[in-house]
Amino acid sequence: MAENNFHPNEPTQAAVEASRSRVMNWFSKTATLLQWATMESPLGTIYLARNSAGLCSLNFGVSEAEFLGGLDLRARTENNPDALALVIAQLREYFAGTRSRFDVPVDLSQMTPFQRNVLHAAEAIPAGKVLTYGQIAQDIGKPRASRAVGQALGSNPVPIIVPCHRVVGSDGSMTGYSGGGGVASKKWLLHMEGAL
Amino acid sequence: MNLPRFETLIERHHDEIYRYLWQMLRDTHLDAQDFTQETFMRAYQAYGRLRPDSNCRAWLYKIATNCAYTALRRSRREVSLDDDLPADGLPPPEEAVVHNLVLEDIRQFIDTLPLKQRAAVIMRHIDGFEYNEIAQTLDCSEEAARAHVSLAVRKLRKELDGQRR
Repeated sequence: MAENNFHPNEPTQAAVEASRSRVMNWFSKTATLLQWATMESPLGTIYLARNSAGLCSLNFGVSEAEFLGGLDLRARTENNPDALALVIAQLREYFAGTRSRFDVPVDLSQMTPFQRNVLHAAEAIPAGKVLTYGQIAQDIGKPRASRAVGQALGSNPVPIIVPCHRVVGSDGSMTGYSGGGGVASKKWLLHMEGAL
Repeated sequence: MNLPRFETLIERHHDEIYRYLWQMLRDTHLDAQDFTQETFMRAYQAYGRLRPDSNCRAWLYKIATNCAYTALRRSRREVSLDDDLPADGLPPPEEAVVHNLVLEDIRQFIDTLPLKQRAAVIMRHIDGFEYNEIAQTLDCSEEAARAHVSLAVRKLRKELDGQRR
């Protein structure tokens, strides 16, 4: 009888765990999955993330916390090197000098149509060559939009893969780079590709 | 300061939100698990609009409190909510009173309190909130939050004094 009258002051640990499991189960069904991995490179640790559509983030010169903090905060993250194996293999070949173009799906769906046009134009620049912001603006049919082209390249979520480092000022100057390490990394990449 | 990832929010705060809702709903037939999940579902929908400098813990408690209010109103139509109480001068320090009371007695009487007082006293004396966090959670001034806790404690003390006579 005493047990029937027992009114606990706290929920049982089993109830807490059951609730946590239920919330995590709902979250895993609801949230977008972002798989991420790291690789070592001459530019330091490179962080990569992909969703179901393709590679959506690449960065270096940042900490793990900064990289993860820069991804969609509502997404579920999973450290999964196997899911990024293809792009990691291609990046290794690139740094070894045996690959000049990347063949991996990239997700630019979070970009505006203008930004996507600019990034696609940058993708078409072969290794060892550079174009100016003005030339990219011409290529996409917006000849007066050099400054906007620079801003669009600055928002490139997947530097190196989309080679925004191959775009320079009209006098050959390098004023900025969206990847880690800033202009020094840009110069290093162009030097490695034989463009400098 | 940047917001944490949502999954981190679940890891850090799920257990205390569940315990808080369990305390809020324990005298009803309502299942705290349902409202814990609803709290995180509502939070997930709104997370993209949360300001980067927000106090996530207070924000989650606010959502949980709203879930509990809605559920309790639905399940017990007769419950009347207090409006924010005017604070006429500083309330007496209640900590000393609370610590002298028997914990089990407090918890039983908490169930009988009006909702805002119940939420405030649970947050203050079980979850360890500061008054400014309680104020954020209950959408009231810090003075009103103090008044809710103080009034709740005065009621509890009176009730317990009456029992002991």
